Amino acid sequence: MSKGVDMTAMPVRPEFEADPSHDVKIGDAARPLSVFERITANTLLRRIFILIVLAIIWEIYARWLKNPLMFPSFSEMSAALWESLVHGPLLERTYTTLRVLIMGYAAGITLAAAFTTLAVSTRVGTDLLSTLTAMFNPLPAIALLPLGLLWFGLGIPSLIFVIIHSVLWAVALNTHTGFLSVPETQRMAGMNYGLRGVRYVTLILIPAALPSILAGLKIGWAFAWRTLIAAELVFGVSSSSGGLGWFIFENRNMLETANVFAGLTTVIVIGLLVESVVFRSVELRTVRRWGMQR
Amino acid sequence: MKQVQAQDEPLLDVSGVTLQYKTREHLVTATYRVSFQVFAGERFILLGPSGCGKSTLLKGVAGFLKPVEGTIRLGGRVIDKPGPDRMMVFQEFDQLLPWKTVKQNVMFPMKASRRLDGPEADARALAYIDKVNLTKFSNSYPHTLSGGMKQRVAIARAMAMEPAILLMDEPFAALDALTRRKMQEELLHLWRDTKFTMIFVTHSIEEAIILGSRVLVMSPHPGQVKAELNAGNFDHASQGGPEFQALQQRIHNMLFAQRIEQEAPVIHE
Repeated sequence: MSKGVDMTAMPVRPEFEADPSHDVKIGDAARPLSVFERITANTLLRRIFILIVLAIIWEIYARWLKNPLMFPSFSEMSAALWESLVHGPLLERTYTTLRVLIMGYAAGITLAAAFTTLAVSTRVGTDLLSTLTAMFNPLPAIALLPLGLLWFGLGIPSLIFVIIHSVLWAVALNTHTGFLSVPETQRMAGMNYGLRGVRYVTLILIPAALPSILAGLKIGWAFAWRTLIAAELVFGVSSSSGGLGWFIFENRNMLETANVFAGLTTVIVIGLLVESVVFRSVELRTVRRWGMQR
Repeated sequence: MKQVQAQDEPLLDVSGVTLQYKTREHLVTATYRVSFQVFAGERFILLGPSGCGKSTLLKGVAGFLKPVEGTIRLGGRVIDKPGPDRMMVFQEFDQLLPWKTVKQNVMFPMKASRRLDGPEADARALAYIDKVNLTKFSNSYPHTLSGGMKQRVAIARAMAMEPAILLMDEPFAALDALTRRKMQEELLHLWRDTKFTMIFVTHSIEEAIILGSRVLVMSPHPGQVKAELNAGNFDHASQGGPEFQALQQRIHNMLFAQRIEQEAPVIHE
Protein backbone atom coordinates (compact mmCIF):
# COMPACT_ATOMS: atom_id res chain seq x y z
CA MET A 1 0.00 0.00 0.00
CA SER A 2 1.28 3.49 -0.82
CA LYS A 3 2.61 5.40 2.14
CA GLY A 4 1.56 8.70 0.57
CA VAL A 5 -2.07 8.22 1.61
CA ASP A 6 -2.84 10.07 4.81
CA MET A 7 -5.11 7.66 6.66
CA THR A 8 -5.97 10.17 9.37
CA ALA A 9 -7.77 12.34 6.83
CA MET A 10 -10.44 9.65 6.43
CA PRO A 11 -13.28 9.63 8.97
CA VAL A 12 -13.28 6.38 10.95
CA ARG A 13 -16.52 4.49 10.38
CA PRO A 14 -17.81 1.86 12.80
CA GLU A 15 -17.44 -1.84 11.92
CA PHE A 16 -20.26 -4.33 12.28
CA GLU A 17 -21.12 -7.97 11.70
CA ALA A 18 -24.60 -8.90 10.59
CA ASP A 19 -26.48 -12.16 10.97
CA PRO A 20 -28.56 -12.82 7.85
CA SER A 21 -31.72 -14.32 9.29
CA HIS A 22 -34.22 -16.41 7.37
CA ASP A 23 -37.49 -15.08 8.74
CA VAL A 24 -37.37 -11.78 6.89
CA LYS A 25 -40.13 -11.37 4.31
CA ILE A 26 -38.27 -10.64 1.09
CA GLY A 27 -40.48 -12.82 -1.09
CA ASP A 28 -39.58 -16.08 -2.79
CA ALA A 29 -36.09 -16.54 -4.13
CA ALA A 30 -37.66 -18.32 -7.11
CA ARG A 31 -41.24 -18.19 -8.34
CA PRO A 32 -43.02 -20.25 -11.02
CA LEU A 33 -43.58 -18.55 -14.37
CA SER A 34 -47.06 -17.38 -15.30
CA VAL A 35 -49.05 -19.10 -18.05
CA PHE A 36 -48.38 -16.27 -20.50
CA GLU A 37 -44.65 -16.44 -19.83
CA ARG A 38 -44.70 -20.19 -20.40
CA ILE A 39 -46.59 -19.89 -23.68
CA THR A 40 -44.34 -17.19 -25.06
CA ALA A 41 -41.29 -19.19 -24.02
CA ASN A 42 -42.36 -22.03 -26.33
CA THR A 43 -40.52 -21.61 -29.65
CA LEU A 44 -42.87 -23.90 -31.55
CA LEU A 45 -45.96 -21.94 -30.48
CA ARG A 46 -44.32 -18.64 -31.38
CA ARG A 47 -43.39 -19.96 -34.83
CA ILE A 48 -46.86 -21.35 -35.44
CA PHE A 49 -48.24 -17.95 -34.50
CA ILE A 50 -46.01 -16.29 -37.13
CA LEU A 51 -47.16 -18.81 -39.75
CA ILE A 52 -50.81 -18.05 -38.98
CA VAL A 53 -50.21 -14.31 -39.28
CA LEU A 54 -48.45 -14.80 -42.63
CA ALA A 55 -51.36 -16.93 -43.91
CA ILE A 56 -53.87 -14.26 -42.88
CA ILE A 57 -51.89 -11.53 -44.65
CA TRP A 58 -51.67 -13.73 -47.75
CA GLU A 59 -55.45 -14.36 -47.73
CA ILE A 60 -56.30 -10.67 -47.32
CA TYR A 61 -53.90 -9.56 -50.06
CA ALA A 62 -55.07 -12.22 -52.55
CA ARG A 63 -58.73 -11.38 -51.96
CA TRP A 64 -58.00 -7.73 -52.49
CA LEU A 65 -56.03 -8.51 -55.68
CA LYS A 66 -58.79 -10.78 -57.12
CA ASN A 67 -56.48 -12.44 -59.64
CA PRO A 68 -56.40 -16.19 -58.93
CA LEU A 69 -54.48 -16.86 -62.15
CA MET A 70 -51.51 -14.87 -60.91
CA PHE A 71 -51.91 -15.06 -57.15
CA PRO A 72 -54.45 -17.46 -55.67
CA SER A 73 -55.53 -16.94 -52.08
CA PHE A 74 -54.48 -19.10 -49.15
CA SER A 75 -57.84 -20.84 -49.06
CA GLU A 76 -57.74 -21.60 -52.81
CA MET A 77 -54.24 -22.97 -52.38
CA SER A 78 -55.37 -25.10 -49.44
CA ALA A 79 -58.25 -26.51 -51.45
CA ALA A 80 -55.90 -27.28 -54.36
CA LEU A 81 -53.43 -28.87 -51.97
CA TRP A 82 -56.11 -31.11 -50.46
CA GLU A 83 -57.44 -32.01 -53.87
CA SER A 84 -54.00 -32.91 -55.25
CA LEU A 85 -53.11 -34.84 -52.15
CA VAL A 86 -56.26 -36.93 -52.03
CA HIS A 87 -57.24 -37.30 -55.68
CA GLY A 88 -54.27 -35.97 -57.54
CA PRO A 89 -50.69 -37.11 -58.01
CA LEU A 90 -49.10 -34.92 -55.30
CA LEU A 91 -48.50 -37.70 -52.77
CA GLU A 92 -46.90 -39.92 -55.37
CA ARG A 93 -44.77 -37.04 -56.67
CA THR A 94 -43.61 -36.24 -53.14
CA TYR A 95 -42.74 -39.86 -52.55
CA THR A 96 -40.68 -39.96 -55.77
CA THR A 97 -38.79 -36.83 -54.75
CA LEU A 98 -38.11 -37.95 -51.20
CA ARG A 99 -36.92 -41.35 -52.32
CA VAL A 100 -34.36 -39.85 -54.69
CA LEU A 101 -33.42 -37.30 -52.07
CA ILE A 102 -32.74 -39.84 -49.35
CA MET A 103 -30.66 -42.00 -51.70
CA GLY A 104 -28.56 -39.02 -52.76
CA TYR A 105 -28.27 -37.66 -49.22
CA ALA A 106 -27.13 -41.00 -47.84
CA ALA A 107 -24.60 -41.43 -50.64
CA GLY A 108 -23.32 -37.87 -50.10
CA ILE A 109 -22.88 -38.41 -46.35
CA THR A 110 -21.08 -41.71 -46.88
CA LEU A 111 -18.65 -40.06 -49.28
CA ALA A 112 -18.23 -37.13 -46.90
CA ALA A 113 -17.37 -39.55 -44.08
CA ALA A 114 -14.77 -41.22 -46.32
CA PHE A 115 -13.23 -37.86 -47.28
CA THR A 116 -13.15 -36.65 -43.68
CA THR A 117 -11.55 -39.87 -42.47
CA LEU A 118 -8.88 -39.40 -45.11
CA ALA A 119 -8.47 -35.75 -44.12
CA VAL A 120 -8.03 -36.39 -40.38
CA SER A 121 -5.65 -39.29 -40.86
CA THR A 122 -3.24 -37.94 -43.48
CA ARG A 123 -1.88 -34.54 -44.40
CA VAL A 124 -2.38 -35.22 -48.12
CA GLY A 125 -6.00 -35.99 -47.28
CA THR A 126 -6.36 -32.65 -45.50
CA ASP A 127 -4.91 -30.80 -48.49
CA LEU A 128 -7.08 -32.77 -50.90
CA LEU A 129 -10.26 -32.03 -48.95
CA SER A 130 -9.43 -28.32 -48.54
CA THR A 131 -8.66 -27.91 -52.24
CA LEU A 132 -11.67 -29.85 -53.47
CA THR A 133 -13.99 -28.02 -51.06
CA ALA A 134 -12.62 -24.66 -52.14
CA MET A 135 -13.21 -25.66 -55.77
CA PHE A 136 -16.59 -27.32 -55.60
CA ASN A 137 -18.37 -25.75 -52.65
CA PRO A 138 -19.05 -22.44 -54.45
CA LEU A 139 -20.11 -24.27 -57.63
CA PRO A 140 -23.92 -24.55 -57.71
CA ALA A 141 -24.77 -28.23 -57.93
CA ILE A 142 -27.40 -27.54 -60.56
CA ALA A 143 -24.65 -26.31 -62.89
CA LEU A 144 -23.44 -29.91 -63.04
CA LEU A 145 -26.81 -31.20 -64.19
CA PRO A 146 -26.01 -30.95 -67.94
CA LEU A 147 -22.89 -33.01 -67.31
CA GLY A 148 -24.89 -35.48 -65.23
CA LEU A 149 -27.43 -35.83 -68.05
CA LEU A 150 -24.62 -36.41 -70.50
CA TRP A 151 -22.97 -39.08 -68.36
CA PHE A 152 -25.93 -40.83 -66.80
CA GLY A 153 -28.82 -39.92 -69.07
CA LEU A 154 -32.29 -38.80 -68.08
CA GLY A 155 -33.30 -40.38 -64.81
CA ILE A 156 -32.50 -40.99 -61.20
CA PRO A 157 -28.70 -41.50 -61.53
CA SER A 158 -28.08 -37.98 -62.79
CA LEU A 159 -30.32 -36.56 -60.03
CA ILE A 160 -28.32 -38.48 -57.43
CA PHE A 161 -25.15 -37.20 -59.03
CA VAL A 162 -26.10 -33.56 -58.44
CA ILE A 163 -27.44 -34.26 -54.94
CA ILE A 164 -24.19 -35.93 -53.91
CA HIS A 165 -22.34 -32.92 -55.18
CA SER A 166 -24.52 -30.55 -53.17
CA VAL A 167 -24.27 -32.59 -49.93
CA LEU A 168 -20.71 -33.87 -49.98
CA TRP A 169 -18.72 -30.65 -49.70
CA ALA A 170 -20.86 -28.93 -47.11
CA VAL A 171 -20.91 -31.97 -44.83
CA ALA A 172 -17.23 -32.85 -45.28
CA LEU A 173 -16.11 -29.27 -44.70
CA ASN A 174 -18.19 -28.86 -41.54
CA THR A 175 -17.21 -32.23 -40.10
CA HIS A 176 -13.55 -31.59 -40.73
CA THR A 177 -13.74 -28.12 -39.17
CA GLY A 178 -15.55 -29.68 -36.21
CA PHE A 179 -12.82 -32.27 -35.73
CA LEU A 180 -10.14 -29.60 -35.89
CA SER A 181 -11.84 -27.53 -33.19
CA VAL A 182 -12.12 -30.33 -30.62
CA PRO A 183 -10.38 -28.94 -27.50
CA GLU A 184 -6.83 -30.18 -26.97
CA THR A 185 -7.68 -31.21 -23.40
CA GLN A 186 -10.47 -33.53 -24.55
CA ARG A 187 -8.15 -35.10 -27.11
CA MET A 188 -5.47 -35.63 -24.49
CA ALA A 189 -8.02 -37.02 -22.04
CA GLY A 190 -9.15 -39.52 -24.68
CA MET A 191 -5.60 -40.62 -25.42
CA ASN A 192 -4.90 -40.79 -21.70
CA TYR A 193 -7.54 -43.53 -21.41
CA GLY A 194 -5.67 -45.50 -24.05
CA LEU A 195 -8.12 -44.77 -26.88
CA ARG A 196 -6.60 -45.03 -30.37
CA GLY A 197 -7.79 -45.17 -33.97
CA VAL A 198 -11.45 -45.91 -34.67
CA ARG A 199 -12.45 -45.96 -30.98
CA TYR A 200 -10.80 -42.58 -30.45
CA VAL A 201 -12.72 -41.14 -33.42
CA THR A 202 -16.10 -42.61 -32.44
CA LEU A 203 -15.87 -42.08 -28.68
CA ILE A 204 -14.14 -38.69 -28.58
CA LEU A 205 -13.93 -36.84 -31.90
CA ILE A 206 -17.43 -37.45 -33.29
CA PRO A 207 -19.39 -36.50 -30.13
CA ALA A 208 -17.08 -33.55 -29.48
CA ALA A 209 -17.56 -32.29 -33.03
CA LEU A 210 -21.28 -33.04 -33.11
CA PRO A 211 -22.45 -29.39 -33.21
CA SER A 212 -20.44 -28.82 -36.41
CA ILE A 213 -21.44 -32.18 -37.86
CA LEU A 214 -25.14 -31.42 -37.30
CA ALA A 215 -24.71 -27.96 -38.81
CA GLY A 216 -23.11 -29.60 -41.85
CA LEU A 217 -25.92 -32.14 -42.14
CA LYS A 218 -28.50 -29.33 -41.98
CA ILE A 219 -26.78 -27.28 -44.65
CA GLY A 220 -26.33 -30.42 -46.74
CA TRP A 221 -30.01 -31.24 -46.38
CA ALA A 222 -31.07 -27.73 -47.47
CA PHE A 223 -28.68 -27.79 -50.46
CA ALA A 224 -29.87 -31.23 -51.51
CA TRP A 225 -33.54 -30.29 -51.25
CA ARG A 226 -33.30 -27.18 -53.36
CA THR A 227 -30.96 -28.79 -55.89
CA LEU A 228 -33.33 -31.68 -56.36
CA ILE A 229 -36.40 -29.52 -56.87
CA ALA A 230 -34.49 -27.36 -59.34
CA ALA A 231 -33.22 -30.41 -61.20
CA GLU A 232 -36.73 -31.86 -61.42
CA LEU A 233 -38.00 -28.60 -62.91
CA VAL A 234 -35.49 -29.06 -65.70
CA PHE A 235 -36.23 -32.64 -66.56
CA GLY A 236 -39.35 -34.12 -65.17
CA VAL A 237 -39.74 -34.35 -68.96
CA SER A 238 -38.79 -37.98 -68.91
CA SER A 239 -41.87 -39.74 -67.65
CA SER A 240 -45.06 -39.75 -65.67
CA SER A 241 -43.04 -40.64 -62.58
CA GLY A 242 -41.71 -37.11 -62.06
CA GLY A 243 -41.24 -35.53 -58.65
CA LEU A 244 -42.46 -32.40 -56.92
CA GLY A 245 -40.47 -30.09 -59.20
CA TRP A 246 -42.13 -31.64 -62.18
CA PHE A 247 -45.54 -31.28 -60.52
CA ILE A 248 -44.92 -27.54 -60.18
CA PHE A 249 -43.67 -27.21 -63.74
CA GLU A 250 -46.56 -29.20 -65.21
CA ASN A 251 -49.20 -27.17 -63.42
CA ARG A 252 -47.63 -23.89 -64.46
CA ASN A 253 -47.88 -25.07 -68.06
CA MET A 254 -51.55 -25.78 -67.52
CA LEU A 255 -52.00 -22.43 -65.73
CA GLU A 256 -53.22 -24.23 -62.61
CA THR A 257 -51.65 -21.56 -60.44
CA ALA A 258 -53.30 -22.79 -57.23
CA ASN A 259 -51.65 -26.15 -57.83
CA VAL A 260 -48.28 -24.45 -58.40
CA PHE A 261 -48.72 -22.82 -55.00
CA ALA A 262 -49.77 -26.15 -53.52
CA GLY A 263 -46.61 -27.73 -54.87
CA LEU A 264 -44.46 -24.92 -53.51
CA THR A 265 -46.18 -25.18 -50.14
CA THR A 266 -45.45 -28.89 -50.03
CA VAL A 267 -41.77 -28.14 -50.71
CA ILE A 268 -41.75 -25.57 -47.90
CA VAL A 269 -43.67 -27.73 -45.42
CA ILE A 270 -41.37 -30.70 -45.92
CA GLY A 271 -38.36 -28.40 -45.52
CA LEU A 272 -39.80 -26.96 -42.31
CA LEU A 273 -40.71 -30.37 -40.92
CA VAL A 274 -37.26 -31.81 -41.48
CA GLU A 275 -35.61 -28.73 -40.03
CA SER A 276 -37.85 -28.19 -37.04
CA VAL A 277 -38.88 -31.74 -36.21
CA VAL A 278 -36.09 -34.07 -37.30
CA PHE A 279 -33.02 -31.90 -36.81
CA ARG A 280 -34.42 -30.02 -33.87
CA SER A 281 -35.28 -33.11 -31.89
CA VAL A 282 -31.84 -34.53 -32.59
CA GLU A 283 -30.32 -31.26 -31.36
CA LEU A 284 -32.50 -31.15 -28.27
CA ARG A 285 -31.50 -34.67 -27.37
CA THR A 286 -27.80 -34.11 -27.98
CA VAL A 287 -25.90 -30.86 -28.30
CA ARG A 288 -28.43 -28.68 -26.47
CA ARG A 289 -28.85 -31.12 -23.65
CA TRP A 290 -25.08 -31.28 -23.28
CA GLY A 291 -24.74 -27.50 -23.26
CA MET A 292 -22.59 -27.55 -26.39
CA GLN A 293 -25.04 -25.30 -28.20
CA ARG A 294 -27.55 -22.83 -26.91
CA MET B 1 5.90 -37.48 6.75
CA LYS B 2 7.69 -40.78 6.84
CA GLN B 3 11.16 -40.87 5.35
CA VAL B 4 11.18 -42.49 1.94
CA GLN B 5 14.73 -43.82 1.91
CA ALA B 6 13.43 -47.00 3.51
CA GLN B 7 11.87 -47.93 0.17
CA ASP B 8 14.39 -49.23 -2.31
CA GLU B 9 12.55 -49.01 -5.64
CA PRO B 10 11.14 -45.69 -6.85
CA LEU B 11 7.73 -45.89 -8.52
CA LEU B 12 8.68 -43.32 -11.11
CA ASP B 13 12.22 -42.76 -12.25
CA VAL B 14 12.94 -39.76 -14.45
CA SER B 15 16.57 -39.64 -15.40
CA GLY B 16 18.39 -37.07 -17.49
CA VAL B 17 15.27 -36.09 -19.41
CA THR B 18 15.49 -33.41 -22.07
CA LEU B 19 12.17 -32.49 -23.65
CA GLN B 20 11.65 -30.40 -26.75
CA TYR B 21 8.56 -29.26 -28.59
CA LYS B 22 7.99 -27.31 -31.77
CA THR B 23 6.05 -24.10 -32.05
CA ARG B 24 5.37 -22.46 -35.38
CA GLU B 25 8.71 -20.68 -35.35
CA HIS B 26 10.90 -22.28 -32.69
CA LEU B 27 12.13 -25.57 -31.44
CA VAL B 28 11.79 -25.00 -27.72
CA THR B 29 13.86 -26.93 -25.21
CA ALA B 30 11.43 -27.16 -22.32
CA THR B 31 13.54 -29.17 -19.87
CA TYR B 32 17.23 -29.97 -19.89
CA ARG B 33 18.53 -33.17 -18.26
CA VAL B 34 16.01 -33.25 -15.46
CA SER B 35 16.18 -36.15 -13.02
CA PHE B 36 13.94 -37.02 -10.11
CA GLN B 37 12.35 -40.03 -8.46
CA VAL B 38 8.89 -40.45 -7.04
CA PHE B 39 8.12 -43.13 -4.46
CA ALA B 40 4.77 -44.71 -3.75
CA GLY B 41 2.50 -42.57 -1.63
CA GLU B 42 4.42 -39.34 -2.25
CA ARG B 43 2.79 -36.04 -3.06
CA PHE B 44 5.44 -34.82 -5.44
CA ILE B 45 5.28 -31.18 -6.52
CA LEU B 46 6.82 -29.70 -9.65
CA LEU B 47 7.24 -26.03 -8.78
CA GLY B 48 8.59 -23.24 -10.89
CA PRO B 49 7.77 -20.04 -12.77
CA SER B 50 6.12 -20.23 -16.19
CA GLY B 51 8.57 -21.38 -18.81
CA CYS B 52 10.36 -23.86 -16.56
CA GLY B 53 8.86 -26.79 -18.44
CA LYS B 54 6.98 -28.29 -15.50
CA SER B 55 3.79 -28.88 -17.51
CA THR B 56 5.84 -30.27 -20.41
CA LEU B 57 7.59 -32.57 -17.97
CA LEU B 58 4.21 -33.81 -16.74
CA LYS B 59 3.13 -34.42 -20.35
CA GLY B 60 6.33 -36.40 -20.76
CA VAL B 61 5.42 -38.58 -17.79
CA ALA B 62 1.90 -38.93 -19.21
CA GLY B 63 3.43 -40.17 -22.46
CA PHE B 64 2.23 -37.38 -24.75
CA LEU B 65 5.80 -36.30 -25.45
CA LYS B 66 8.89 -38.43 -25.97
CA PRO B 67 12.16 -37.31 -24.39
CA VAL B 68 14.92 -36.51 -26.86
CA GLU B 69 17.40 -37.56 -24.20
CA GLY B 70 17.06 -39.63 -21.04
CA THR B 71 14.34 -42.02 -19.94
CA ILE B 72 11.14 -41.99 -17.92
CA ARG B 73 10.36 -45.28 -16.19
CA LEU B 74 7.22 -46.23 -14.33
CA GLY B 75 7.67 -49.34 -12.20
CA GLY B 76 10.76 -50.21 -14.23
CA ARG B 77 9.04 -49.95 -17.63
CA VAL B 78 9.91 -47.17 -20.06
CA ILE B 79 6.95 -44.89 -20.80
CA ASP B 80 6.38 -44.55 -24.53
CA LYS B 81 2.71 -43.69 -24.91
CA PRO B 82 -0.24 -42.35 -22.90
CA GLY B 83 -2.01 -44.94 -20.82
CA PRO B 84 -4.63 -45.29 -18.10
CA ASP B 85 -2.04 -46.23 -15.47
CA ARG B 86 -1.15 -42.52 -15.39
CA MET B 87 -4.36 -40.54 -15.10
CA MET B 88 -4.07 -36.87 -15.84
CA VAL B 89 -6.12 -34.02 -14.38
CA PHE B 90 -5.86 -30.86 -16.43
CA GLN B 91 -6.19 -27.20 -15.57
CA GLU B 92 -8.94 -26.57 -18.13
CA PHE B 93 -12.57 -27.03 -17.15
CA ASP B 94 -13.37 -28.50 -20.58
CA GLN B 95 -11.52 -31.72 -19.77
CA LEU B 96 -14.86 -33.36 -18.92
CA LEU B 97 -16.75 -34.76 -21.86
CA PRO B 98 -19.83 -32.54 -22.20
CA TRP B 99 -21.95 -35.34 -23.70
CA LYS B 100 -21.66 -37.47 -20.59
CA THR B 101 -23.14 -36.98 -17.15
CA VAL B 102 -20.92 -36.77 -14.10
CA LYS B 103 -21.29 -40.48 -13.46
CA GLN B 104 -20.74 -41.39 -17.10
CA ASN B 105 -17.64 -39.21 -17.16
CA VAL B 106 -16.21 -40.99 -14.14
CA MET B 107 -17.07 -44.39 -15.61
CA PHE B 108 -15.80 -43.61 -19.09
CA PRO B 109 -12.05 -44.25 -18.54
CA MET B 110 -12.82 -47.56 -16.84
CA LYS B 111 -14.93 -48.65 -19.81
CA ALA B 112 -12.68 -47.14 -22.48
CA SER B 113 -9.63 -48.90 -21.08
CA ARG B 114 -11.72 -52.06 -20.59
CA ARG B 115 -10.62 -52.24 -17.00
CA LEU B 116 -14.05 -52.44 -15.43
CA ASP B 117 -17.55 -52.63 -16.82
CA GLY B 118 -21.17 -52.97 -15.75
CA PRO B 119 -22.23 -52.76 -12.12
CA GLU B 120 -18.64 -52.80 -10.81
CA ALA B 121 -17.73 -49.68 -12.76
CA ASP B 122 -21.00 -48.14 -11.66
CA ALA B 123 -20.36 -48.81 -7.98
CA ARG B 124 -16.81 -47.58 -8.10
CA ALA B 125 -17.78 -44.41 -9.94
CA LEU B 126 -20.44 -43.65 -7.34
CA ALA B 127 -17.98 -44.32 -4.52
CA TYR B 128 -15.48 -41.81 -5.87
CA ILE B 129 -18.16 -39.26 -6.73
CA ASP B 130 -19.18 -39.55 -3.09
CA LYS B 131 -15.57 -38.98 -2.00
CA VAL B 132 -15.60 -35.59 -3.75
CA ASN B 133 -19.08 -34.81 -2.37
CA LEU B 134 -20.94 -34.70 -5.67
CA THR B 135 -23.41 -37.55 -5.16
CA LYS B 136 -26.31 -35.14 -5.66
CA PHE B 137 -24.96 -34.22 -9.08
CA SER B 138 -24.05 -37.65 -10.42
CA ASN B 139 -26.69 -37.42 -13.14
CA SER B 140 -25.99 -33.80 -14.10
CA TYR B 141 -24.23 -32.75 -17.27
CA PRO B 142 -20.91 -30.90 -16.85
CA HIS B 143 -22.21 -27.61 -18.28
CA THR B 144 -24.52 -27.26 -15.28
CA LEU B 145 -21.62 -27.45 -12.80
CA SER B 146 -19.35 -24.71 -11.45
CA GLY B 147 -15.63 -24.68 -12.17
CA GLY B 148 -14.71 -26.15 -8.81
CA MET B 149 -17.27 -28.94 -9.20
CA LYS B 150 -15.93 -29.78 -12.65
CA GLN B 151 -12.42 -30.10 -11.26
CA ARG B 152 -13.73 -32.34 -8.49
CA VAL B 153 -15.34 -34.57 -11.12
CA ALA B 154 -12.05 -34.66 -13.02
CA ILE B 155 -10.24 -35.68 -9.84
CA ALA B 156 -12.85 -38.34 -9.05
CA ARG B 157 -12.57 -39.59 -12.64
CA ALA B 158 -8.81 -39.90 -12.37
CA MET B 159 -8.86 -41.47 -8.90
CA ALA B 160 -11.58 -43.97 -9.77
CA MET B 161 -9.14 -45.57 -12.19
CA GLU B 162 -6.90 -46.18 -9.18
CA PRO B 163 -3.87 -45.42 -11.36
CA ALA B 164 -0.27 -46.09 -10.38
CA ILE B 165 0.24 -42.36 -10.32
CA LEU B 166 -2.01 -39.30 -10.55
CA LEU B 167 -0.78 -36.45 -12.73
CA MET B 168 -2.20 -33.06 -11.85
CA ASP B 169 -1.46 -30.14 -14.14
CA GLU B 170 -2.34 -27.03 -12.10
CA PRO B 171 -5.87 -28.32 -11.52
CA PHE B 172 -6.79 -25.48 -9.17
CA ALA B 173 -5.13 -22.62 -11.05
CA ALA B 174 -8.31 -21.43 -12.74
CA LEU B 175 -10.36 -21.44 -9.52
CA ASP B 176 -11.09 -18.50 -7.24
CA ALA B 177 -9.04 -18.27 -4.05
CA LEU B 178 -11.75 -19.54 -1.69
CA THR B 179 -12.65 -22.54 -3.84
CA ARG B 180 -8.98 -23.29 -4.39
CA ARG B 181 -8.32 -23.49 -0.68
CA LYS B 182 -11.30 -25.76 -0.16
CA MET B 183 -10.13 -28.02 -2.98
CA GLN B 184 -6.64 -28.21 -1.51
CA GLU B 185 -8.10 -29.30 1.81
CA GLU B 186 -10.25 -31.91 0.08
CA LEU B 187 -7.30 -33.23 -1.89
CA LEU B 188 -5.24 -33.66 1.30
CA HIS B 189 -8.21 -35.35 2.90
CA LEU B 190 -8.52 -37.75 -0.03
CA TRP B 191 -4.81 -38.49 0.21
CA ARG B 192 -5.11 -39.37 3.89
CA ASP B 193 -7.94 -41.68 2.84
CA THR B 194 -6.29 -43.61 0.02
CA LYS B 195 -2.57 -42.66 0.08
CA PHE B 196 -2.37 -42.33 -3.69
CA THR B 197 0.83 -41.22 -5.43
CA MET B 198 0.66 -37.96 -7.30
CA ILE B 199 2.72 -35.46 -9.22
CA PHE B 200 1.24 -32.01 -8.88
CA VAL B 201 2.32 -29.09 -11.04
CA THR B 202 1.95 -25.58 -9.66
CA HIS B 203 3.57 -22.16 -9.79
CA SER B 204 2.33 -21.20 -6.32
CA ILE B 205 4.96 -21.64 -3.61
CA GLU B 206 2.24 -21.70 -0.97
CA GLU B 207 0.26 -24.41 -2.73
CA ALA B 208 3.44 -26.45 -3.19
CA ILE B 209 4.28 -26.36 0.52
CA ILE B 210 0.73 -27.10 1.65
CA LEU B 211 0.00 -29.95 -0.76
CA GLY B 212 3.40 -31.52 -1.28
CA SER B 213 5.41 -34.01 0.69
CA ARG B 214 8.36 -33.30 -1.57
CA VAL B 215 8.92 -30.28 -3.80
CA LEU B 216 11.04 -30.18 -6.93
CA VAL B 217 12.01 -26.55 -7.55
CA MET B 218 12.78 -25.79 -11.18
CA SER B 219 14.44 -22.87 -12.93
CA PRO B 220 13.32 -21.68 -16.35
CA HIS B 221 14.68 -21.45 -19.92
CA PRO B 222 15.29 -24.31 -20.20
CA GLY B 223 13.80 -26.08 -17.20
CA GLN B 224 16.42 -27.49 -14.89
CA VAL B 225 16.33 -28.86 -11.37
CA LYS B 226 17.18 -26.25 -8.78
CA ALA B 227 16.41 -28.10 -5.58
CA GLU B 228 14.41 -30.93 -4.09
CA LEU B 229 12.91 -30.15 -0.69
CA ASN B 230 10.81 -31.89 1.93
CA ALA B 231 7.52 -30.23 2.78
CA GLY B 232 5.55 -33.03 4.37
CA ASN B 233 5.04 -31.28 7.70
CA PHE B 234 2.85 -28.45 6.51
CA ASP B 235 -0.82 -27.94 5.85
CA HIS B 236 -3.23 -25.00 5.95
CA ALA B 237 -3.00 -24.84 9.73
CA SER B 238 0.74 -24.23 9.71
CA GLN B 239 0.50 -21.53 7.08
CA GLY B 240 1.31 -18.58 9.34
CA GLY B 241 4.04 -20.40 11.31
CA PRO B 242 7.74 -19.47 11.26
CA GLU B 243 8.90 -22.76 9.71
CA PHE B 244 6.36 -22.44 6.93
CA GLN B 245 7.42 -18.89 6.25
CA ALA B 246 11.10 -19.80 6.33
CA LEU B 247 10.58 -22.50 3.72
CA GLN B 248 8.44 -20.18 1.66
CA GLN B 249 11.15 -17.51 1.80
CA ARG B 250 13.84 -20.04 0.94
CA ILE B 251 11.99 -21.18 -2.18
CA HIS B 252 11.17 -17.62 -3.08
CA ASN B 253 14.85 -16.71 -3.00
CA MET B 254 15.72 -19.69 -5.14
CA LEU B 255 13.21 -18.76 -7.79
CA PHE B 256 13.89 -15.06 -7.91
CA ALA B 257 17.65 -14.95 -7.27
CA GLN B 258 18.43 -14.68 -10.95
CA ARG B 259 15.62 -12.38 -11.79
CA ILE B 260 17.70 -10.05 -13.95
CA GLU B 261 18.88 -12.98 -15.97
CA GLN B 262 15.29 -13.97 -16.57
CA GLU B 263 14.33 -10.66 -18.10
CA ALA B 264 15.86 -12.09 -21.30
CA PRO B 265 13.44 -13.19 -24.07
CA VAL B 266 10.45 -14.95 -22.69
CA ILE B 267 9.07 -17.92 -24.52
CA HIS B 268 5.57 -18.71 -23.39
CA GLU B 269 4.63 -22.19 -22.50
